[in-house]
Amino acid sequence: MLLEQAVRVSEIILAFAFVLQSLEYLRGLQPEKSIAAIRLLLSLLLLVGIQPVWVELGLLLSSVFYLFRFQGPYNGGSDAMGILVLFSLFLSHLASTHFWQEIALGYLAFQLTFSYFQSGYIKVINVEWRNGRALQDVFSITAYPVSDKIRLWGKSTRLMCIMSWVVILFELAFPFSLLNQITFLIALVIAGIFHFANAWLFGLNRFFWIWPAGFPILFWFQSRVIFPFV
Amino acid sequence: MIKIILPALFPSWRFFSGIGPSPRIYYALLHIESDEPTQWLEFRPKPKVLSVKEQVLRLFHNPQWNETLYINTCAERLFEGYAEMRAREIMHRLLAAVARKEILVGEKDNYLVYRIGAVMREEEHVYEQITFTSSPALLKGFC
Repeated sequence: MLLEQAVRVSEIILAFAFVLQSLEYLRGLQPEKSIAAIRLLLSLLLLVGIQPVWVELGLLLSSVFYLFRFQGPYNGGSDAMGILVLFSLFLSHLASTHFWQEIALGYLAFQLTFSYFQSGYIKVINVEWRNGRALQDVFSITAYPVSDKIRLWGKSTRLMCIMSWVVILFELAFPFSLLNQITFLIALVIAGIFHFANAWLFGLNRFFWIWPAGFPILFWFQSRVIFPFV
Repeated sequence: MIKIILPALFPSWRFFSGIGPSPRIYYALLHIESDEPTQWLEFRPKPKVLSVKEQVLRLFHNPQWNETLYINTCAERLFEGYAEMRAREIMHRLLAAVARKEILVGEKDNYLVYRIGAVMREEEHVYEQITFTSSPALLKGFC
């Protein structure tokens, strides 16, 4: 995928995710409600591709406002990934040379890949993740399961152990999937299912939309950086 | 400023690295400020089951759930020590729930107070411990 194409597709997915987020904030309180109205407008402009540099600057400034308003992210990692994708796309437009454009997007590709690997690594070194106990606690103790029925999944030790290892192996293998086009496509499908499951079971709908916003950049990254070496 | 912006640009992706105490928010309504709460109710208890239609809708639009996650983040910060902003933020959102009739109040209810329970596991034993109780907030103007 060409760099310009990857940036554009990424912007469309990101804009869609921000539209959904803004509609959620509009149901909330002030002052985030007013900022959401501005972000909704900016996101729609980004969706159709009008003045992306200025629009992304506006979205970045409003993201910083939210960070200060909530003294950190409102929704943890999904906000962090949103800002990261936005910041990298913004820098890619701002870059004076093709080289710096590639550096900005390369950083995003690295962080996106690393997000899976680091998450898998901290699990595999933890005995409670390896034996399924940690995931059992996620279902049984935390406030994440969306219903009492889903909370009951935590009672099945065997299921929790299997699910833990599926998640760990997928997360650790993700960076290596980039070495081949087929494995990469398979990894993206699994990633989609993984984020869908998190949204379905734990209500993490913002993650489901924001992570794929970076996937087009991974397509570009694979053809630009990985393929010349394999 | 750096402490807030830098983690967004150089994030750590340590999702669920350890499962710590998990917060539950309870509220009580009081007639007068000095009353002792008699009945604590869980704020936004989980439904027994969600239909497929509700689940699909929540993929696109889930404001209440995401606000609850934010409230839980505030509560987790309070586990680490008292932080006025976090305590105020939880109260602010509970009062907003009163204003939009999500929390129903009686005619004689004039104050709202909340407390945070921490659910945790020790070996095979799961238990809950109350870690924080707020000061009562006046409901006037919210209901």
